[in-house]
Amino acid sequence: MANAFVAAFEILSFGAIIVLIVLGLGIIASMMGIFNFAQGEFVLLGAYVTYLAYANGLPIWAGMVAAPFVVGALGFVLEALIIRRFYAAPIVAMLGTYALGLIIRESVRGLIGGFYLTVPEPIGGSIDIGSIHISAWRFTIIVVTLLVMAGCYLLLSRTSFGLRMRATLENPSLARASGISTPLMYGATFAFGSALAGLAGALIVPVFSLYADLGLRFLIQGFVAVMVGGVGSFIGPVAGAGVIGTLSAALPWVMAPVVADVLVFVLAIVFIKFRPQGLIAGKGV
Amino acid sequence: MLKPMSVVREAIVTDMGDEADGAMAEGAAAEQATDRVKAGRKILPIVEGVVLVAALIAPLVLQDYLTVFATRVIILALFALSFDLVWGYAGIMSFGQALFFGSAGYGVALLARDLDVTNIFLVLPAGTLIGLAFALLLGGFLLLGRHPSSVIFVSLGTLTGSYAADRLARGWYYLGGQNGIPSIAPMSLGGYEFTEGPAFYYLVLGILVVVYLLCRFLVRSQFGLALAGLRENEQRIAFFGYKAQHLKAIIFTIGGAVAGLAGSLYAFHEGFVWPNMVGVVVSTQVVLYVLFGGSGTLIGAVIGAVIVEGVSFWLSDNYRDVWPIILGLLLLLVILFRPLGLISFVLGERERVGSFGAGPDRTGKEKRNAP
Repeated sequence: MANAFVAAFEILSFGAIIVLIVLGLGIIASMMGIFNFAQGEFVLLGAYVTYLAYANGLPIWAGMVAAPFVVGALGFVLEALIIRRFYAAPIVAMLGTYALGLIIRESVRGLIGGFYLTVPEPIGGSIDIGSIHISAWRFTIIVVTLLVMAGCYLLLSRTSFGLRMRATLENPSLARASGISTPLMYGATFAFGSALAGLAGALIVPVFSLYADLGLRFLIQGFVAVMVGGVGSFIGPVAGAGVIGTLSAALPWVMAPVVADVLVFVLAIVFIKFRPQGLIAGKGV
Repeated sequence: MLKPMSVVREAIVTDMGDEADGAMAEGAAAEQATDRVKAGRKILPIVEGVVLVAALIAPLVLQDYLTVFATRVIILALFALSFDLVWGYAGIMSFGQALFFGSAGYGVALLARDLDVTNIFLVLPAGTLIGLAFALLLGGFLLLGRHPSSVIFVSLGTLTGSYAADRLARGWYYLGGQNGIPSIAPMSLGGYEFTEGPAFYYLVLGILVVVYLLCRFLVRSQFGLALAGLRENEQRIAFFGYKAQHLKAIIFTIGGAVAGLAGSLYAFHEGFVWPNMVGVVVSTQVVLYVLFGGSGTLIGAVIGAVIVEGVSFWLSDNYRDVWPIILGLLLLLVILFRPLGLISFVLGERERVGSFGAGPDRTGKEKRNAP
């Protein structure tokens, strides 16, 4: 019983981490049609900002709060300078963002060297329920993920900013005709997606520690999750991330890890082939 | 399924004609561009000749260790050729080309390790077949089907395939896990063993030249014309009655076979295979070569591989840390400002498209390949 509970918690917390990482990726892919290969590096930057704060003696949570703003600002600048040129050509966008990611990743590698740098958990210790101990920080990640998910959903579905954002992305020319500044909306959307990646990086760095290939590890999983969930809505990628995250964490409990690893990808690709619109199709939030 | 050549050519010309009209409106700049196109009409054979001569004399002037390095570059150029066929000519973004390269490498490594087969006439065809088979399976699955697959799905599908293969190779004890398969016996022909050096170099160069000529024949044939049409306007080619998906699957498979040939040569030249060889790192590396050199020209892929590897080799002694950053910056600049690659500095666009069959040579201006 206790073991099953621990397993369920592990699966849930890994699922939450994948959801957190895919949120930003999904918003950029769904709303802008760009598969951002630099997203993993935005996650890395978020982690790096947190590490910097810690290394300079600031409280860790200050770094975690700053990370989304720093990475979001960088995303806004990059959108205006570079990403903007790629909107008509999804493949070129992939290559361009890949180049951007390469630059960011190698710069961070140059700054931190080939090391694994640890950042302690701002909320340490464990939560004890009877004989079961679960990590307090992983539990915090689950809670924050739920809050961020709800926040994003409300922002997109209930606010006028969200409405303008969805309008711009669904029909840019009509949105322009209605007086919405579409370049600004594109910039804001990309910055928002980057900021979410920065937050994800800041929250996961105590779990995975900081190293240059931190973001790369999640990138392909993230893409697969977005496609499984379905491009074109906010809910789709989140659902896909839940499925992929849960599967990747759950399958190794019942079979050899290497088989589980590959099986998740094979299942996902087969699923997408026969259901290209993904789990949740259609234009919603 | 072959249509009269003139029909398809007409379609492409019409398509490009629109582009040309638009360009004319831009005035002086366009005229200059036209001049350059005219002047650059017969550049391609010259470029190819220069590269060939340089490659032929390289081992005579290079030191031994550099010949070994040059051999590796030639093999990678062969690999780049396979990607150029798939992306430059059919517009299929294969982010997983290393899957065919690496699986062939692993295949021949296993042949050599477990069955003691190193005869060149057995291992190279075997490697090619492995690449071909994997490409047929993956390409058939991703590209064929009732509904045409989106470009995003194909590119991410190949990427995922390559990543999954990498993970599998890392975790599978039979394939050597993280360490791969070390000390592969050299390739042999009768009693002769091909070890690193000039003999291996000229063998690889000969293979590259043969494959290059075959590819060149292929892309200038009726089949290549259909591919060019496919790249320019897939829907229109489909309306002509071509099975666009079949054409794509065929070229993808051929690309896989060439990658497999390159992979088996690489395995024997390096003497070991390791998981990175099937993974995302090598997959993206080959994309870099072709984008730098210029996609859709064949020779551009070769030049790209030589330049990227050469500069990387040259800089890696002193600037090991900053080189990947410079590479990223250069790549970004090429994508933004020189989408046709370095070759477009000397090669006009008319020549890039080339001429097909007999008759008036008017393939005209061609737009950037951006599906």
